[in-house]
Amino acid sequence: MSGRILLVEDDDRLAHYVGKGLAEANFTVDRAGNGRDGLFLATDSDFDVVILDRMLPGMDGLSVLKAFRAAGIATPVLMLSALGQTDDRVEGLTAGADDYLGKPFAFAELLARVQALMRRGTNGGAQRLSVLRCADLELDRLSRQVRRGKRKIPMQPREFRLLEYLMLHEGEVITRTMLLEAVWDYHFDPGTNVIDVHISRLRRKIDDDEAQPLLHTVRGAGYRLSADD
Amino acid sequence: MTVRRLFSSTIAGLGIAIFLLQLLSSGAAIYLLRTQMQGIVHADRTRQVHDLRDDLLAAYYDNGYEGLHRFIAERRGSVSNPSIFVVLTGPDGTLFSNVPARPRGVPFDRPGIVHLPQAGGEPHDALALGTKLPQGKELIVGVMTVTERGFDLAFAEAIGLTLTLTVVLALLSALLLGTVISRRVRAIADTAEALGSGNFAARFPSEDIGDGFDHLRRQMNLMAERIDMLVKQLHTVSGALAHDLQSPVARLRASLDTALAVETSEPAAEALQLARTDAEALQLMLTAALELERLESGTIEDRRRKIALGEVVEDLTELYEPLAEQSGIALTWQVEPAHVFGDRELLSRALANLIDNAFKYGGDRIALDCRVEGPWAVVEVADNGAGIPAGDRARAVDRFTRLDNARTRPGAGLGLAMVSAVAQLHGGALELSGGDVSDPGGLTATIRLPCG
Repeated sequence: MSGRILLVEDDDRLAHYVGKGLAEANFTVDRAGNGRDGLFLATDSDFDVVILDRMLPGMDGLSVLKAFRAAGIATPVLMLSALGQTDDRVEGLTAGADDYLGKPFAFAELLARVQALMRRGTNGGAQRLSVLRCADLELDRLSRQVRRGKRKIPMQPREFRLLEYLMLHEGEVITRTMLLEAVWDYHFDPGTNVIDVHISRLRRKIDDDEAQPLLHTVRGAGYRLSADD
Repeated sequence: MTVRRLFSSTIAGLGIAIFLLQLLSSGAAIYLLRTQMQGIVHADRTRQVHDLRDDLLAAYYDNGYEGLHRFIAERRGSVSNPSIFVVLTGPDGTLFSNVPARPRGVPFDRPGIVHLPQAGGEPHDALALGTKLPQGKELIVGVMTVTERGFDLAFAEAIGLTLTLTVVLALLSALLLGTVISRRVRAIADTAEALGSGNFAARFPSEDIGDGFDHLRRQMNLMAERIDMLVKQLHTVSGALAHDLQSPVARLRASLDTALAVETSEPAAEALQLARTDAEALQLMLTAALELERLESGTIEDRRRKIALGEVVEDLTELYEPLAEQSGIALTWQVEPAHVFGDRELLSRALANLIDNAFKYGGDRIALDCRVEGPWAVVEVADNGAGIPAGDRARAVDRFTRLDNARTRPGAGLGLAMVSAVAQLHGGALELSGGDVSDPGGLTATIRLPCG
């Protein structure tokens, strides 16, 4: 995946680290060290995703975001904040951010979220499909039934939502935090590998006794549902 | 409750003060009236006695004893008053009298009070004056003061009536005053409560009357203004601190990640991995401490609404159920419908903290119970692990406290402090129990929240 990313972050070393990581993942990164420059760059050229720090010298992240949206810039914005609090999250999201990530974060988490935002434009059609498919795995969102080939797989409601989310983001790396937020609507770490156990239970249901595994673990990042390894 | 008691005592005090003041003023008025009336009546009586004596003496000087007798018998002039008495005595005894016996101690210079013996009854008081006549005779005249007794009775009645009225009026005014005061004070107390629970934007309504209450409100508003400013400053400082501290830690972790990604020798990779684990723990502690700070200061946004506590519990058990199955722990739950006015995210987080603790330090059973106890919605997380000794339970809720048996395990030591802060933010409390004689082993953490 490639694309142009605008990184608005005042901390040089963090910006360097994030920028380097994104470049390694094949993104082109432009950086602004303060809100005013960020706003200028964003209005000047097209970006696929904007990563915006909440606390910036001069013009703070929220004001920059509001100015973006007021100027009609619809680019997806991932907001970063040292105050990884749920109320800040709500404030950020209502101000027009598309996703919110509290510092400290693992780079894998940031990357997964940037990729998810990037795909939203191209992959948006899946949101409206009533039947989701991945290889011979089929999920019917209306009758709420799941099949692998000819085998019908009974699902509990939460398992269904978990699989649905993974299938909607087929091929993308999904982190544990993203799953917790999307499937359970929790914005905290429930501790010990809680999500891993849910995933392995789901994996047993869909991948056991199958020649081709679909649910993959991405070391140090999360999970990916796809037909290829 | 104490406020209410303070009020009732204030009202009672006010009532007593008003009562005493009213009683004093009415009493003074009655006393003055009585003294004046008595003065007037006394003067009238004195004049009557003088008139009577003068009339009788005139009759005596004109016609001697015979004239005197006739004057009395005919009951003319001043003698016509039925309450007068006349006694004429000679050296050999009483010559004339219209009373049973001669009163004793009659003054001769000016009218004075004497006891007048009555036939078979209490002696009457009378105002009497004696006059010495020739041949050793004495003329005693007087007026019975029966009406004064009537006066005293009337005054006693007046005092009784005044007393009753005073009590009623004092009660009424105390009640009125008390209501007015308590209403004003309650308005102030409500605002103070809002301030106390973290709403630093709350202000006391100022009416610009210029009385004591207004002064109090204005001063308290100034105080609230100052608190608001300080809290905002603190908020900014702690936010900046988070930014300043978390970024270096994040960079540290990032650098370690970068170093780990490069192929290195086994011992170096091991050391780097250890450093990375510590950096991660440091980040977690920093985040937890800052979040706790915000929870305890009540400066987080209020997103409370009416939620079903049972659903919060069920969602969480559903989250942990696979983990319990995998770890061979029996996770059971019992849910009664209970509603609270709360923040789902924060309550879930607090409960998750308790459940996570039970997984880490508990035994092989975890039981969740959600029920209603009077005005409280109660959630209980009970395990059958080692528990916490009764003496250590209070300390376990403190910040950064890690009990000895937990020291070797990962954790920031902020868990229970955070749960307690969440409970308090909702007007409730966290209680730890278990490990007692009745319930040997295990820890029961109970969150009590007011029903919404």
